[in-house]
Amino acid sequence: MTQSKNFRLFVSLIAALAIISTVRLWTSQDALTSSDTIGTALRLTVPILLAGMAGLWAERCGVLNIGIEGMMIFGTWFGAWGAWQFGPWAGLLFAILGGVFGGLVHAVATVRFNIDQVISGVVINLFAFFGVRYLSELVYVGKQGGGISQSPPQKWALPRFNLPILSGGEIAGWKSPDFLGWLELQRWFILGDLGGISRGLTHNLSWATVIAVLVVPASAWVLWRTRFGLRLRSSGESPVAAESLGVKVNHLRYYGLLISGGLAGLAGGTLSIVASSYYRQGQTAGRGFIGLATMIFGNWRPSGILIGAMLFGYAEGIKLVASDSITALFLFIAAISGVFFVVAVIRRKRVQIAVALSAFLLSAIAYRTVDTVPESLTQALPYLVTLIVLATANQRLRPPAMAGVPFRPGEPH
Amino acid sequence: MQAGSKKSSQTLPLESAHVVELANISKSFPGVIANRDISLQVARATIHAIVGENGAGKSTLMKILYGLHQPDSGTIAINGEITQFKSPSEAIAAGIGMVHQHFMLADNLTVLENIILGYEPTKYGVLSLGNARKRVKELATSIGVDLDLDLPISELGVGQRQRVEILKVLFRGAEILVLDEPTAVLVPQEVDELFTNLRKLVANGTTILFISHKLDEVLSISDQITVIRQGSTVATVSPKMVDRLKLAELMVGSDLPSHGKRTTLVGEKIQLSTNNLTVIGKNRKNPVENVSFKIFESEIVGIAGVDGNGQFELCEALLGLVDIEGTVEIGGKDASKLSIRERLNQGLAYIPFDRHREGLMLAASLWENSLLGHETSLSRGPMIDFDAAKKSCKEIIDRFGVMTPNELVPAFVLSGGNQQKLVVGRNLATAPKVLIAAHPTRGIDVGAQAAVWEEIRRSRDAGMSVLLVSADLEEVLGLSDRILVMFDGEISAELDPKSATPQILGKYMTGTQ
Repeated sequence: MTQSKNFRLFVSLIAALAIISTVRLWTSQDALTSSDTIGTALRLTVPILLAGMAGLWAERCGVLNIGIEGMMIFGTWFGAWGAWQFGPWAGLLFAILGGVFGGLVHAVATVRFNIDQVISGVVINLFAFFGVRYLSELVYVGKQGGGISQSPPQKWALPRFNLPILSGGEIAGWKSPDFLGWLELQRWFILGDLGGISRGLTHNLSWATVIAVLVVPASAWVLWRTRFGLRLRSSGESPVAAESLGVKVNHLRYYGLLISGGLAGLAGGTLSIVASSYYRQGQTAGRGFIGLATMIFGNWRPSGILIGAMLFGYAEGIKLVASDSITALFLFIAAISGVFFVVAVIRRKRVQIAVALSAFLLSAIAYRTVDTVPESLTQALPYLVTLIVLATANQRLRPPAMAGVPFRPGEPH
Repeated sequence: MQAGSKKSSQTLPLESAHVVELANISKSFPGVIANRDISLQVARATIHAIVGENGAGKSTLMKILYGLHQPDSGTIAINGEITQFKSPSEAIAAGIGMVHQHFMLADNLTVLENIILGYEPTKYGVLSLGNARKRVKELATSIGVDLDLDLPISELGVGQRQRVEILKVLFRGAEILVLDEPTAVLVPQEVDELFTNLRKLVANGTTILFISHKLDEVLSISDQITVIRQGSTVATVSPKMVDRLKLAELMVGSDLPSHGKRTTLVGEKIQLSTNNLTVIGKNRKNPVENVSFKIFESEIVGIAGVDGNGQFELCEALLGLVDIEGTVEIGGKDASKLSIRERLNQGLAYIPFDRHREGLMLAASLWENSLLGHETSLSRGPMIDFDAAKKSCKEIIDRFGVMTPNELVPAFVLSGGNQQKLVVGRNLATAPKVLIAAHPTRGIDVGAQAAVWEEIRRSRDAGMSVLLVSADLEEVLGLSDRILVMFDGEISAELDPKSATPQILGKYMTGTQ
């Protein structure tokens, strides 16, 4: 059962690689799978991934968190402040604390006072936006390089490293060969792409990125393998049942929201400390909401969220690194939609046939007719890709059953 | 977990023969007094039944015993030791386990996760799943239950879910087992199985508190029976000393209304009929397959069946909530293409399966709830006529005996039985031509049940046709003029209630005949 599942996953991965490799060689757009693109994509994936994980922790314990965006804003501001004052590691810690503060506000409002969870989240978003603007006025205005919408630049950056042997990292002063870089330069079918992708994931890495990616298995382990995790999930699935078994649902919802806030804060911190070196107003740019979208896309599971976040990250990354390649991406989408179309026809799923066919036609036409893509369209690309995947992926969504429903312990149910 | 409050039975002094002793328990909620000065003593290794009308305070009392509510006054003594339970975990630690009326299971979690939740075997906070699996398997084998522990609860049937609940309680090493309406969802054969298990448990020294309003079951299984009426204890009797009627009278506090045979005749006009009605299943078997029936004026047709054999989908199809193949006729006219609103205007009314999900807005006031579906008649232009709506709600409250302080309180304040009376009243108040009644008396007491039956009979005598869907065989047999049995989406039998028995029905309902 699981073996055939793994085999299918392996085959579809190879097939996807083969398709994109063909497209790359056909259009000579090496940027599609270059280590540059993938590295950028990974950096852009991180904040979305963390935002998605923040959503996961909140909804698994039974509370909707629309306020992730706001908690990320706290993260960007406090992170940048901490990094400016005490260095990047302290900055990340402050970012987490800023998010935890947002999570605590949300918890007190929704768990303690039973305020509507959506309203509380929206208020946190507004409060964060204007709150940090006020703080900037107090702290940043008048400092060199700082202002009401921007912090002074940080003096230090987080260390970056390359993986030894594979991507040319150093071992005790000895510079090891960059095997993947060499492989990428050969431009061989599939192998060249594999080299580019692997090098992008292992080259010029920030430790913060490593930590962020480790959040995924760590969360999965805590949620599914520990007592705390089981109880937290039960608070989101059936708080009444959990309470009847002596689980303190509201305590767990507090913990869930504090963790959620902390992850959102860390997501903000990576934006103002890792992806740039200062806080800027509007830095989060709606990534909190994209994080929520990846959570739904990922079916409320850590691995699914990782895939969803990588999808967004890649689409955004290619836009930044090589916007010329976007036309090639149209061809890639056309090819993928074509495959989905065939699968849908074999399985006789009418809706999926229609969606895959229209996606195929649209992207094929776009590839033939469009030379340069306007900026506004390239910005919409990640959303377009997600829309297509959401429509064609035949998944059974299983959200936590009681996420969003307030729970008052000890009342007659 | 509070260690130390659990004692093994051997070391106890003799004077604490009473495992559970409740003394002068009182508890009130805003606007409702649930328990008033209740006292109760339960002997070791017996089955002690607690019976009473809905809203009499049985469930509240058990929730107090289980630490879910705290009493306003009174004491709880377990094994002769006065205790206070601030939370269920303290009650669990004292050896009390509860199987709730509405299953307390998380649908998306697996069987194993549900069983160990709150009592997880762990090492440094990490679940010892292998160990847990082994222990649950052993327990299951010891009571003869076979379950796939990795399935999510949502894929189990009702009987299996109850077994999970019982395993859950046993896993905690409970010595005192509280069962709240355990047979409400079971067919007769399953009830027998359950009773066999319970007797085994008692033989092993477990004490069982059995809450029910099915009097025959109570009489057959219990060693002692305590009757509760309007929040107070009325009597504690031995089942040998009383019969069904005496027990019912103790519960209701007055002579029961007699049912009486019907004196009117079934009409000749067909009011509701279906022809080869099929509901197409998405990615599964059709939930309703080629169902054809006719209901005449002034006739009650009962549909007996175990939940989940297509009755729910049949009702939805009749109302127009799902796409169908075949036809539905209301009052002799084809209604297959009509919208829900148009069907209701043709004189259709519906008492839904689940009053919480489809029948009521729990957080809204009673008068708003009784207004639902009748907005047009209780409005002036686009505006709701508040006075008329409240007056109509008061009429329903009076006519159906809904126990409530007034019509302004939110629906969740009422007990289940009173909520149901409101739903039934709302649908009968407008004198519909055809009533689809799905479990019209589920979870309500004999007194209220008799009242609802009486109202349905009276409306039928006045010409109303009724499609009665119920899993309560007594209800189907007592009320129907004709019985159809539904199994696996099809009508498997048509029976005459005069000659049918619960055993015969049970066989058709489970597909063994």
